[in-house]
Amino acid sequence: MAVGVNKAALLAFGLGALATPALADDTGNTVKIGVVAAESGSFVSAGHTLPAGVSLAVKEINDAGGVKVGDKTYKIELVKRDDRTDIGTAVAATQELVRDVGVKAIFGSESHDFTLAMTKITQPAKVLHFAGNSTLDTILTDASVAPGGADHYLFQTEPREFQRSGSTARGVLSLLQPMVDHPIKKSVIIAGNDATGQFLSSYYIKALKAEGQEVPDIIFYPPDTTDFSPILTRAKSLNPDVVHFWYNGDSTLTALPQAVELGVAPSYFLFGVDPGIWKERSLSADVPVAMSCVPVCWGESSNPKAKAYFQSYFAAGAPKGVTSSVSLLYYDYVHVLAEAWTKAGSFDPDKVVDALMTLHHKGVVSDDLSFNAHHQVTHATEVCAAKPGGDITCSMQQPPADAPM
Amino acid sequence: MEIFIQQILNGLSIASVITLIAVGVTLIFGLTGIINFAHGEFLMVGSIVTWLAVSNGWGFPLALCAAVVVVAVMGFALERGLFRFTLDLPTNGFIVSLGLIVVLQHIVILFWNANQKSIPHPLTKVWEVGGVRIAAVRAMVIIVTALVVTLTFFVITRSRYGRALRASVEDRDTAALMGIPVRRYITGVFVFGSALAGLGGALLIALFPITPFTGGTIVMKGFAVALIGGLGNLTGAVAAGLILGIVEGFSAGYGLSQWTDAYSFALMILVLLIRPQGLFGGTSGPRIT
Repeated sequence: MAVGVNKAALLAFGLGALATPALADDTGNTVKIGVVAAESGSFVSAGHTLPAGVSLAVKEINDAGGVKVGDKTYKIELVKRDDRTDIGTAVAATQELVRDVGVKAIFGSESHDFTLAMTKITQPAKVLHFAGNSTLDTILTDASVAPGGADHYLFQTEPREFQRSGSTARGVLSLLQPMVDHPIKKSVIIAGNDATGQFLSSYYIKALKAEGQEVPDIIFYPPDTTDFSPILTRAKSLNPDVVHFWYNGDSTLTALPQAVELGVAPSYFLFGVDPGIWKERSLSADVPVAMSCVPVCWGESSNPKAKAYFQSYFAAGAPKGVTSSVSLLYYDYVHVLAEAWTKAGSFDPDKVVDALMTLHHKGVVSDDLSFNAHHQVTHATEVCAAKPGGDITCSMQQPPADAPM
Repeated sequence: MEIFIQQILNGLSIASVITLIAVGVTLIFGLTGIINFAHGEFLMVGSIVTWLAVSNGWGFPLALCAAVVVVAVMGFALERGLFRFTLDLPTNGFIVSLGLIVVLQHIVILFWNANQKSIPHPLTKVWEVGGVRIAAVRAMVIIVTALVVTLTFFVITRSRYGRALRASVEDRDTAALMGIPVRRYITGVFVFGSALAGLGGALLIALFPITPFTGGTIVMKGFAVALIGGLGNLTGAVAAGLILGIVEGFSAGYGLSQWTDAYSFALMILVLLIRPQGLFGGTSGPRIT
């Protein structure tokens, strides 16, 4: 028995000795950040952009020498986890990153309800958490973001939903109207029936009504739907001027050809579909089709900084996806975080939060990225429209100042 | 009225794929006693083979043939390598099929990732008749299914092979004594059912994108249809497939569209409560009429 115990002690000692250099290196020269994203599963088109965007920013920072914090310079080490578009996996991955890996910050996920669940782990652990989910608006309040509040370390890297929906609705209608030979009065929304779809569409319907649209129906579909013909036929029976496909880019691209086959409407809007994909896949329709990017398009942008960013992004090996631009809800903020560490001169999360609240970063998305008192950013959204078999026009749409009543 | 007719046509195309699966399920269960829950993954493999072939420049008809052949060969290998050892222990066979789901999904993910895959529609023509639009690709799926199911029906009911097959289901030992190669027939039925899944996979990817997880939903509906029609009943599988497809189309078109799947399974529960043997009567073997 004693021999067994001794062997176990020796083994533990040996393993401990093996682990020591890595531990020293971790605390000495590197700082770890984590990404939790859907690199597989039904939300992969948006999910795979997170690790790609964050990786690019980390590479740029490390190639430039690293991040200076106090007297020392650190390299950033990125630890990625695939949530498989599964909320349980996302929570488990967050637990691991926070408890076992010891990351200082987490980026993601892109699924709204997943992020809400992840904050229950990141916030008590005082881990900085950046997510481009507008649902965070429901929990980011004066009290929750205050020091000692439940979400003091949580930051929303996408505009509030009334802003994003408002700018999108205005852009879609203003771009489509000149391409349709009659006034656009009636809109039907087709949305995925999950937490994200329900949340986002509740704002979008208000935004459309604020633009004077009659919205007779929101038709929800199960998230993994591939045969849209029954619900498209239902939409057709409502005689819409525009059908708005809201919000999953992959589903949208599956639904559009079926809608064109069935002749559902004289115009369509595809939320979260980049004109780059429209061109890459040689898509076409015999009616005008509007598209929106979250937040800036990679295929055809009016944003002067976008071209250089997306060249670097795709050159680093990221695939050209439906929603590759979602990466910008994360890329800029790795640089913001690095600046905040430098400004705070410390990794102390409270000091870093204070630094984040005073930063004004010149990013790709905007020349002045800053967080408001509720830890949220504000910036424009790009909307484009393709004429039947013709050119694509894009424009940046500024967000409305106030939510529609 | 044209909206109503459109909804019926919409339902028929997806009903065709589900019917192919249900016919496969019902034949395999009815004639061999094997409950193969991985049948949906056979369909998924058929879709992947079609996608690979079309991506490499093959025409759709050739890709469809490749899918049928590959999945049939896969069915042969799995029946000989796995399921034949569980014929006397159906529960073990059922567990084996569940394991096979995970294995097949992961093999596909390993080699071709988990992303959605699609092919260009092999037929792009759309006809309009009185406000109703009929896509040629959907018409093709309905026609191919009708032909294959009709052929299957006649083989099972009229051919010498079909009669021998049904005799071996009625009494395996006596059939063997009469010189019928029962073991070989079981393999043959499994291979044929697998080929139908391969065909279903090729037709499905002609209509919609697929993922490595597509088989799960489809096979559940296939089993629902087989149960509604009556397990082992070919006529029942066809009729129930049509009923389910149209119910799904109507539920999405006129009811709560997000509850489409729930309607299908609610129908299955209702039928099984009222008629436990299914609408057309199920057997442990084939009942054609």
